[in-house]
Amino acid sequence: MAKRKAVVKKEKCLACGGCISVCPQDAILMIFSKADVDDKLCNSCSICVKTCPIGAITWEGASHAL
Amino acid sequence: MHYDAVVIGSGPAGSVTARYAAESGAKVLIIERRAEVGVPVLCGEGISQKVDHYKVLEGTRWIATKMQGARIFSPNGTMVTLAAEYAGNETGYVVYRDIFDQELARGAVKKGAELMLNTRAVGLLKKNGKITGISAQQFDETIDIEADVVVGADGVESRVGRWAGIKTTLKPYDLETCVQYTLANIDWDSPYCDFFLGKHVAPGGYVWVFPKGKDVANVGIGILASLSEAGKAKQYLDKFIAAQPALKKGEPLRILTGADPVAEPIQSVTDNILLVGDAARQVDPITGGGLMHAIEAGRYAGETIRKAVEKQQFDTELLSEYETRWKKAFGKKLHRNYVVKEIMLDMEDKTLDMLADSLKDYKFEEFSTISIIKALVTKHPSLLVKLTPLMKLARA
Ligand SMILES: Cc1cc2nc3c(=O)[nH]c(=O)nc-3n(C[C@H](O)[C@H](O)[C@H](O)COP(=O)(O)OP(=O)(O)OC[C@H]3O[C@@H](n4cnc5c(N)ncnc54)[C@H](O)[C@@H]3O)c2cc1C
Ligand code: SF4
Ligand code: SF4
Repeated sequence: MAKRKAVVKKEKCLACGGCISVCPQDAILMIFSKADVDDKLCNSCSICVKTCPIGAITWEGASHAL
Repeated sequence: MHYDAVVIGSGPAGSVTARYAAESGAKVLIIERRAEVGVPVLCGEGISQKVDHYKVLEGTRWIATKMQGARIFSPNGTMVTLAAEYAGNETGYVVYRDIFDQELARGAVKKGAELMLNTRAVGLLKKNGKITGISAQQFDETIDIEADVVVGADGVESRVGRWAGIKTTLKPYDLETCVQYTLANIDWDSPYCDFFLGKHVAPGGYVWVFPKGKDVANVGIGILASLSEAGKAKQYLDKFIAAQPALKKGEPLRILTGADPVAEPIQSVTDNILLVGDAARQVDPITGGGLMHAIEAGRYAGETIRKAVEKQQFDTELLSEYETRWKKAFGKKLHRNYVVKEIMLDMEDKTLDMLADSLKDYKFEEFSTISIIKALVTKHPSLLVKLTPLMKLARA
């Protein structure tokens, strides 16, 4: 089963860059003032999810198992 | 398009670097991905009055309030007051960061720097392994900008360092994840910047209240990312505000999220590359304050670029002068404060309360680590054990 990937809720993100600075896979970029995860690079470590101060990062397709 | 230096980012680090480089006649371009310099603001907006010495800001439009000092509240509410001259780099003025950044950028432009907005650096240009500039996305076009020096002043999420092979990824243990409201209509008329500590207030960080005039203040929180869960920073801040009668009727004029590196300094120079400000992790690991260091390091960076252009030499050997200068000026302090951060993170709330109790009547006249430790230990001898690592540092 595919691992779940982090996704940014664009309507919630306030573009602080915190998630980008801690992602060990370098999988997140700021595109037009919103953080954006490249799911090909994400290894599902959950660091960005825990870091976001307003909880704007969740898991893609909540039904996917880890 | 060929420049002596291209600066990525128009924050304080970038603008001050560009100012000092351009002043000497170097051809300098700043690129900024935003559509307006300094907007949106991502900052608590406190800065020491030491900023006046640099003479990089004209007029007073950037000042919201002048502060008398700082007050630190331990978990049980014990208050320690610090006069402005001892309160570190974050108290003195509370500023309007958008105007502040625009004034710094205006200063750079006045000295001859060029500035491009809506322009995002996307990678380095290389020829035979040598860095020759950057590639950027400007509106919907990709452009190449050639430059002898590429300055990464691109803040906490810095890409420039990574592109050049410098390890910049932060450990969650080295990042404060932040939320801040600018609250209006509050009863908070105080000449002090306030800091609130405690595991139940802000795990691994603190809540701050920085007044911006009679009934407006920045009320924010930073918690250590390694102690954070999704959305936790905002939950803690909301809880804090709800429990403060003077704040809870406030309405937000602004909400922001922020990321503040509280790390050890990193390598800031390689061939054709300089990193300045948050990109080089030049932030005080205890307070999270980075504005003064960004300005100071920006000056050294600009002066080093001037030398490099004069000699037409852009390798690590010459550019290292920049790193030597900033490390000499405040590198030791950053290292020492990093160790203090680690000690404080291990402290129980009870210990913080004892510390505050020992210091609450302390006159911060003789301000040396040793004299403070003496004051602490006289009142609460059991603190001695906990502070041994600090004493070692003070002697080093
Ligand atoms: C919530 C919070 C509160 C803070 N409070 C204080 C405080 O009270 N006092 C204090 O001294 N410090 C404070 N700090 C720290 C302070 O904000 C930083 O140290 C300071 O902004 C660093 O300046 P800088 O120029 O290095 O980076 P920044 O100000 O972050 O500027 C970086 C610039 O680069 C641009 N950029 C990034 N990537 C690219 C790219 N690829 N292409 C083009 N442009 C790019 C960005 O848009 C931005 O404009 C706080 C930080 C946070 C998060
Ligand atoms: S940490 Fe959250 S608010 Fe900040 S850029 Fe990432 S998703 Fe956006
Ligand atoms: S889950 Fe881990 S690897 Fe994936 S984007 Fe977030 S921090 Fe990066």
